[in-house]
Amino acid sequence: MNLKKTAAITLGKTIHKTTQVLKIGGGSAAPGYYALKLYPNLVAELGRQIPKTVVITGTNGKTTTSRMLAQFAGAQGIKVIRNETGSNLERGIASSLIHNSKFIIHNSVDLAIWELDEAAFNIVVPKINPDIIVFLNVFRDQLDRYGEVDTIVKKWGKTLSQVNPSVKIFLNGDDENLLELQKSFKGEVKTFGVTDYKIAGEKRAQLRKKNDLDLEATNIQPQGLDITKFKVKNQNFTLPLPGTYHIYDFLAAFAVASELGVSLGNIKSGLESFSPAFGRVEKLNLKDNKEGYIFLIKNPTGATQVIRTIQDQIKPEDRLLLALNDNLADGTDVSWIWDTNFEDLGFRNIDLRIICSGIRAEDLALRLKYAGFDPKTLETEKDLQVAFHASVKGLEGRLFILPTYTALLKLQSILAKSGIKQYYWKEEK
Amino acid sequence: MKITLGYLYSDLMNIYGDTGNIITLTKRAQWRGIEVEIRHISVGDKLKKGDVDIFFFGGGQDQAQELVAKDLGQSGKGKVIKEEAERGVPLLAICGGYQLLGDYYQPHEGPKLPGVGLFPAYTKASFDRMIGNIVIRIQSAEFRMQNEEIHNSKFLIPNSLVGFENHSGKTYLKDGAKPLGTVVKGHGNNGEDKSEGCIHKNAVGTYMHGSLLPKNPKLADWLLKKALEVKYGKEIKLEPLDDTLENQAHQAAVSRFS
Repeated sequence: MNLKKTAAITLGKTIHKTTQVLKIGGGSAAPGYYALKLYPNLVAELGRQIPKTVVITGTNGKTTTSRMLAQFAGAQGIKVIRNETGSNLERGIASSLIHNSKFIIHNSVDLAIWELDEAAFNIVVPKINPDIIVFLNVFRDQLDRYGEVDTIVKKWGKTLSQVNPSVKIFLNGDDENLLELQKSFKGEVKTFGVTDYKIAGEKRAQLRKKNDLDLEATNIQPQGLDITKFKVKNQNFTLPLPGTYHIYDFLAAFAVASELGVSLGNIKSGLESFSPAFGRVEKLNLKDNKEGYIFLIKNPTGATQVIRTIQDQIKPEDRLLLALNDNLADGTDVSWIWDTNFEDLGFRNIDLRIICSGIRAEDLALRLKYAGFDPKTLETEKDLQVAFHASVKGLEGRLFILPTYTALLKLQSILAKSGIKQYYWKEEK
Repeated sequence: MKITLGYLYSDLMNIYGDTGNIITLTKRAQWRGIEVEIRHISVGDKLKKGDVDIFFFGGGQDQAQELVAKDLGQSGKGKVIKEEAERGVPLLAICGGYQLLGDYYQPHEGPKLPGVGLFPAYTKASFDRMIGNIVIRIQSAEFRMQNEEIHNSKFLIPNSLVGFENHSGKTYLKDGAKPLGTVVKGHGNNGEDKSEGCIHKNAVGTYMHGSLLPKNPKLADWLLKKALEVKYGKEIKLEPLDDTLENQAHQAAVSRFS
C-alpha cells in the first residue's frame, strides 16, 4: 500500500466525517472528489478488489434499480457496496469505496453495484472491469451535460467494443437506441421489456417481435399510487411503486439478481421490504395525518411519465408543488419543460392549488399557463422553504411535490428541519 | 381568421425544447380567436406556395440534420421555403434549422453541405461548444419599430431577447446581412463578433432555445402579425394580451444571466 493512496483514503474519510457532523449536503461526493485529486487511480485499485461488480447506466431509473438489486442480493445474504445517494460519477464511487475501506481489502464485500451517469460510464467502466452491465434506457436528458442521444449511444458503443466478451450485458429491449449497442459488443446480450407498453419519448423498438425478449413483464395492472401488479415468468409480482416505467427497473434488477444466483424466493422477499429511493415516489407523513408524495423530475421523458402516473390520482383537495432549479446538477437549460407534457395533467378543470417554486419558478408558471392552466390559479414563490410551508398550511388532501434534483436536496433539508423526516444520509441503507 | 403553422421536420428536428415555440404561437393566436392548423412537413412531403402562413424549423441531432439537408434540396422544399420567405411569409429557425437555411455548412471533414440560401450567412464546424444562457439586444430597426412597447422602461434591458444556446457550429453573416441582435451575455453566432442570429424580410434565424417565444412574447406576436398581413393583404393590429407571467419569466431570466 503506497503512502499517497493511504493519504487519499484518510483524507476522504476525514471529509466524510466532517460533512456528516456539520450536516452539509450529505457529503456523498466530496470525499471521493478530493481523494481522487490526490490519488487518481483509487477507483481502479480499490474497485477491482471486490469479487463481483455490476454497473447500471441509463437516463432514468438508475437509483431505483440499484436499490432494488441491493435488496434482492441482501435477501440472499450477499454483502453489497454501492454509491447510494445518487452521486453517479467516479467521485461518488470513490466516496463509497473510501467509506467502506479498511485500507487493505474489501474482504467483507461480495458485490459492488455502481450506478453511473451517461458520461461517467465511459470513464469508469474501463477502470473497474465490471462483470455485469445494465443499460436501462436512453432519452434526451441534459443536453448541456451529456449531449445528444446519438452521441451518448455512440460513446457507449465505443466503450463496449473494448469490454471483455465474457461480461454479461442486460439491456432494455424496448429501446431501439439501446439495441444498436449489440453491434458493438462481441459477447452475449440479454434483453428485458414490457408487453404492450409505450414510454413517451422513448424510441420504441419497431422490429421487436413477440418472444424476442429474454425477460418480459406481462399483465400489467397499475393500482393507485402505491403499487403495480404484473407477471414475470408466470409468477405474480407486486411492485411497491406506481408507474409502468418502474417495471423496467424491476426487470433489470431481477435479471441481474438471477444471474448472480439469487433465488426467486429471495427476490420476492427483497421486493416486499423494498422502499423507494429518496425522492423517487417517496411517501411523506405530513402534519395532521396528511400525506405527501415526492416525484423527482429531471428530464422530459421522466417528468412526462410522472405526470401520466399522477394525473388520474389527483383530487380537487390535493395540492401540487413544482420546483424548478437550473443549477449544474439540474441542467442549466430549462427548455426541457417545454417538451414535458404538462398538458396531460387531467385536472385542468378542477380548482387545484398549484405552487411553482425554485430558481426558475417563473418559467414553470409560464409553462403551465401555456399548458392550459388559468394564470390566476398559479402561485409563484421562488423560495422553496416558504413555498413548502404555504403548500402544507391548511392542506386538506395530499401534497404532490415535483422537484428537480437540487430542489429535491433542498427539500430534504427543509423536511428534516421540520421534523418530517430524517436527513436522507441517515436513512437505513 | 385562420393561420397554418408549418412545423418543418418536427419528427427529426425537435430535441431542444423548441416545441415551446409552436405551443406559444398556437396559444397566442387562439387566445385572440384566430384558428390555428399545425402542418407537419417532413422527409418526402410536398410543399407549395401558400400552403403555410408561418414556418417553424427547430434544432436536431447531427445525423438527422444531414438527412434533412438532403431532403430540402432533393424534394424542392428548400426552394419553396426561400421563395415564400422572399414573399414575406414569416419564419423562425433555431440552431440546426438556422444553419440549414444559410448558404452552407462546412463540417470538420468532407465537403460543404449546401444550405437553402435564405439567410446570407454560412456556418463552419468548430471544436468550441457554445453553451449557456444568452441575452441579446434586438438590432434590426425594422423589428424594433414593430415593437414599440418593448421599449418600456420596466424592462431591465430594453429590446432584449433571452434564451439558451447550445451549438458548436459558428455562423458568420455575409456583407449586408442583418443580425437579429447584439450579444449582451453569451456567445451568439460565432462567439467572436457579438452578433446573434439573422433577420431577412420576416424570417428570423437564431441560436436561441429556451424555448425562445414563451419568454419573448413580442417576437411571437410580431411573427403572427406578419403572417396575417401576408395572408390577408392588409395591416393587422393584434389584440393585446395579459403578458404579466411572460414578462416576469423574461425578467427573471435576464436578471439571472446578465
